[in-house]
Amino acid sequence: MDFGYSREEEEYRERLCRFLDENLTEEIARQNWEDRGVGSEGREFSRKLAAYGFLGMSWPKEYGGKGLSPTYEFILLDELGKRWGCHVPLDVGYTMVGPTILRRGSEALKSEFLPRIIEGEIEFCLGYTEPNSGSDLASMQMKAVEEGDYFIVNGQKTFNTECHYSEYHWLAARTDQSRGAPKYKGISLFIVDMDSPGITIRPLWTMSGERTNEVYYDNVKVPRHRMVGEKNMGFYYMMEAIGSERNQVFIPMRLYSLLQELVQYARDTHHNGRPLAEDPLVRDRLAQAAIELEVARVLADHSRWLESNHMPLSYEPEITKIFTSEMEQRLVDTGMQLLGAFGLLMEDSPRVPMRGRLAWYYLHSFMTTIGAGTSEIGRSVIAQRGLGLPRSY
Amino acid sequence: MDFHFTEEQRILRKTARDFLEANCSASFVLEMEKDEKGYKEDLWLKMSELGWMGLIIPEEYDGVGGNLLDLVVMFEEMGRVCLPGPFFSTIALGALSIMESADDGLKSEFLPAISRGELKLTMAHEEPDFTRYDPYSVGLKAIKKGDAFLLSGTKMFVPDAHVADSIICVARTDGQPPARYGLSLFIVDAGSKGLNLRPLKTMAGDKQFEVSFNDVRVSKGALLGRLDRGSDLLDSILRKAVVCKCAEMLGGAQKVLEMASGYAKEREQFGKPIGSFQAVQHHCANMLIDIEGSRYLIYKVAWLLSQGIPAVMETAACKSWVSEAFKKVVSLGHQVQGATAYMIEHDMPLYSRRARIAEMSLGDGRYHRTVVASQLGL
Repeated sequence: MDFGYSREEEEYRERLCRFLDENLTEEIARQNWEDRGVGSEGREFSRKLAAYGFLGMSWPKEYGGKGLSPTYEFILLDELGKRWGCHVPLDVGYTMVGPTILRRGSEALKSEFLPRIIEGEIEFCLGYTEPNSGSDLASMQMKAVEEGDYFIVNGQKTFNTECHYSEYHWLAARTDQSRGAPKYKGISLFIVDMDSPGITIRPLWTMSGERTNEVYYDNVKVPRHRMVGEKNMGFYYMMEAIGSERNQVFIPMRLYSLLQELVQYARDTHHNGRPLAEDPLVRDRLAQAAIELEVARVLADHSRWLESNHMPLSYEPEITKIFTSEMEQRLVDTGMQLLGAFGLLMEDSPRVPMRGRLAWYYLHSFMTTIGAGTSEIGRSVIAQRGLGLPRSY
Repeated sequence: MDFHFTEEQRILRKTARDFLEANCSASFVLEMEKDEKGYKEDLWLKMSELGWMGLIIPEEYDGVGGNLLDLVVMFEEMGRVCLPGPFFSTIALGALSIMESADDGLKSEFLPAISRGELKLTMAHEEPDFTRYDPYSVGLKAIKKGDAFLLSGTKMFVPDAHVADSIICVARTDGQPPARYGLSLFIVDAGSKGLNLRPLKTMAGDKQFEVSFNDVRVSKGALLGRLDRGSDLLDSILRKAVVCKCAEMLGGAQKVLEMASGYAKEREQFGKPIGSFQAVQHHCANMLIDIEGSRYLIYKVAWLLSQGIPAVMETAACKSWVSEAFKKVVSLGHQVQGATAYMIEHDMPLYSRRARIAEMSLGDGRYHRTVVASQLGL
């Protein structure tokens, strides 16, 4: 049992912290966190992260990586997260798409995409969810029909975030239309240029002001060589990636800065001449939030450790995901109760505390237990894979 | 980062599991709840022969020289079967106190005998005024008289005082409760004149006592650590004892989950195992989530403490979290197993009663959250 980091890992962290303190701003963090669209500041920060050698630590050398342990990636995500909940600006490509290309893509796809991902140049958007396929993702209906060297793709995707600023769509579509075939055995994955003729993107606005999208495909031609791996194996590729994706997206340290700001608020804010920090109830609630963050961190450390040592990921990242997302909701509720009526104020209001971040976090927090798989699906996965209970669906 | 146990620790766990399953059945635990003494001497001696009493004691004092993580493994297995008897008191409260005191004389006097299973210890800390747990609100007085001290006052919730050979008593030598300064620790012979025990009746049938000290005389050699500055020593003892208590709870919680998920796979209603219903699955998943969080937090704290890092925040977080988690796990365990587990002869009530005892032992969640709050800078 060892919860420490090696000397090399600690040195990397120190170097990274110095870099982030100089180069990262709250604006950049928010461009990604709030899906406002990674603008020029975020793009520049992304290239700088790469140029200073902080991207690609665990990626193979032949594609521009350094061939080291994934532990370095988690250090990067923790240190970014500590600062306003930041993430790698072009995170879908870096944490989700890239690893699957590496595992399943052809040599041509690897050489075309991996170096540019590691250089912080390109972003992808996920094309999974459809209006009638949410939790039951394998029931998706978008069609890709083979015609010579191309697939002709038709159908609709929804809640595809990042599409309005990404270069590529990471698209899952049905390639086996035959009746009676199991639904999860007829799906393939494609990389589609977002500027391909026939693609229409329509914005959808969330309750917390993020933009997500509906995407329509009308006879879109996708070259055959842009299919990832084998035909009809896409759903398996999506599922084998899910554990690692959870490890890279549900970063408990992203909640650290909110907790710290609430502690600071409790110290600085007075009622009847005494700081809120002296109120036993305030102390109890904030302590509980800090305890839950400790729990989330060890859960994440455990599932990260499995991944870093190439051990199979099963229900463990699901636990991290559920715990972290639900603790975010509890933390936000604690904050709302601490700030009282002032917690309702949005960022451009007079007398707004904490730059209005808490109101935004509250509005945002509904998504965390739904996006990337609901807590309910997750709990069934935990019961079935973790405890061997019979299938329920 | 490494979550593996060593080969020795895996063997230790296996040996402990096999031995305890063979020697500590649920019916034995129930029998010991009603037994006045609460444990069997022959089982104690067998455990001693296996080297368990000396597990954490250094080799120079005839121990095995293990570390806190070894002890965590042992307590997990003991918690799994609700092992009755004074092991926790003797080792986590007794031996660890003497080891933490770094007093070579006391170490030579006590540790080898504990190792051999010849000596049982406990700690007298809480008092009638502990209506809210606070480790420093100790009022029992120790007044210096020549070369000795006279101890007067009343202690509460002292585990296994009826079988302890010596009692580590937290006393006030200066100041008033709840001052941190002015506490001193003494090791008191349980046969001393002026010591009186009254058994308390707890819901788990474990053996806890009110111990009154009526001018109990101890020599100055019985002082553990420094006079008036016992709080630092007490804190470091309690942090280690806390992680041991948490490990005990973890073992119990894990066993409850195994019972509940096993039942959910077997029990059929509406023609299907109830474990195929999402409502039941989600109860089981919630138990596993709480247990995994507890598990890795306990291992992390044990690792930090074994590295000599005080880990004040993490230890308090651990006790608060695990106390709450164990309670939630037993509630859900009962819910999944229905009326059958509500019966007195079922194993479940052993755990649901002990969850509450363990929650209150060494400070409840509320207390430990006050520690976390201070650590946060509140």
